[in-house]
Amino acid sequence: MNVYIREMKAHRKSLIIWCIGMIALIGSGMGKFAGLSSSGQSMNQLMAQMPKSLQAFLGVGSLDMSTASGFYGVLFLYVVLLATIHATMIGATIISKEERDKTVEFLFVKPMPRKKIIGIKLLAALTQVGILSTITWAASLLIVGRYSNGESINSDIGVTMIGMLILQVLFLVIGTAIAASTKKPGKAATLATGVLLVTFILSFAIDLSEKIEGLKYLTPFKYFEAKNVIDAGLELIFVGISVVLIGVLAVSTFVLYDKRDLNV
Amino acid sequence: MNIFLYELKAYRKSTFIWTGALIVLVILFMSMFPSISKEINEFKKLLEGFPEGVRKALGIQVDTIGSLNGYYSYIFLYITLCGAIQAMNLGISISSKEIREKTADFLLTKPVTRTKILSSKILAALTSLLFTNIVYVIAAITVANAVKVENFSLYVFLLISLTLLFTQLIMFAVGIIIAVVFPKVKSVISLSLGVVFAFFLIGMVAAAEEATRYLSPFKYFDYSYIMNHEGYEWSFLLLGMFLIVLSLIGSFVIYNKKDIHTV
Repeated sequence: MNVYIREMKAHRKSLIIWCIGMIALIGSGMGKFAGLSSSGQSMNQLMAQMPKSLQAFLGVGSLDMSTASGFYGVLFLYVVLLATIHATMIGATIISKEERDKTVEFLFVKPMPRKKIIGIKLLAALTQVGILSTITWAASLLIVGRYSNGESINSDIGVTMIGMLILQVLFLVIGTAIAASTKKPGKAATLATGVLLVTFILSFAIDLSEKIEGLKYLTPFKYFEAKNVIDAGLELIFVGISVVLIGVLAVSTFVLYDKRDLNV
Repeated sequence: MNIFLYELKAYRKSTFIWTGALIVLVILFMSMFPSISKEINEFKKLLEGFPEGVRKALGIQVDTIGSLNGYYSYIFLYITLCGAIQAMNLGISISSKEIREKTADFLLTKPVTRTKILSSKILAALTSLLFTNIVYVIAAITVANAVKVENFSLYVFLLISLTLLFTQLIMFAVGIIIAVVFPKVKSVISLSLGVVFAFFLIGMVAAAEEATRYLSPFKYFDYSYIMNHEGYEWSFLLLGMFLIVLSLIGSFVIYNKKDIHTV
């Protein structure tokens, strides 16, 4: 319990900053919608016939840009990017920071098994990720609700938020698994964000060209895209892949950290 | 000179990795250009059936993406994003790593002034940024020539590519001042990613108006302006230089007076 409280306190300041950043992003993004919503239907028709690559450049896809939830779908990519960066970093640092800050001998000589310490740390990280996504959810409902003109948005936003939460947890365990396996504690966060950037750019490349469509299983950013999720709900295959990945990475975090030679 | 060489060596590996990453990125995106330009040309024909107003609104964008320089300027956003992270990382880590790794009292007790130490470090970092840019530009031109469908203006291509260096220099300078202002930077990457993505998202969200463009270094160079006028916008270029000079001077002043904790 003490470890949990200590971890929550240690990350409190950064969590607050992340939450403010998230609200600012949603607020300023939806502010742009007010100016755009007047352009009307003929735009939508034209967008539908555009080649895929051009849609990717303009950032629209098959979303209806004239409704608030459609516009939110475009913004959603950046919301997810922000949330997953937070998750990756917190996953990587919460495991590696003891060694980085040379507090590892202090913590691990306490009468507590390593597995338990890692478990509590994971729990603390999950709580923080949960707080960020709850704030995002609330902010989205409030801000998008203001622009929606009575159109029902709650289920659209709800389903995208579930997708986002799965991605957050996935990137969190990617971070912890990397931190548990790497030899250099200082490099853990760098490596983990490297993975995140590579998958993000890959998802953009897939938008550009249909030929590499098959690679979409490799990048989590393609799993729950707003344009698919709002129309058809979460796809079972991607939920399955995510759950399996989360399970494997979480278990490997415990196993690898248990066997680890700690740098003192 | 010793400090310069030592720093250069310390950042050799990461410079190579970043340079490699940028080159892979430009190859990945440019290799898609031939098929995309074909798609867009077909779309242009379709566009002729639409009313005049719609054609005007979209036509310019469609025209630019169809050309090599236009396409390059669109994907260049992602390349500058990576470049900016590299520069910000360098900037933050060169001036904070002595304190973080507890080597500050070793270095600062040597008979060299702090100004000398910081300037050798900055020079070393600039060398590695320049190396990245030179190799990148050569690679980008080679790739562009390999995938081109029709001739393109090499001058404009170079102008666009050079904005990578300018953005990196701005980010680097901002990184240095951040690192000397904070008493201790625990994790370089989280701080640098935070700052870079903050600028990136500001650029994404608030780019439409002229006034808000000043807030994000990612928006100092407007690529459609560069393509139409074959030059940069002076107001933004001057602002960028001003920012760089100001933060460098500020960093030297603060670093000279800074309290540095020993182990």
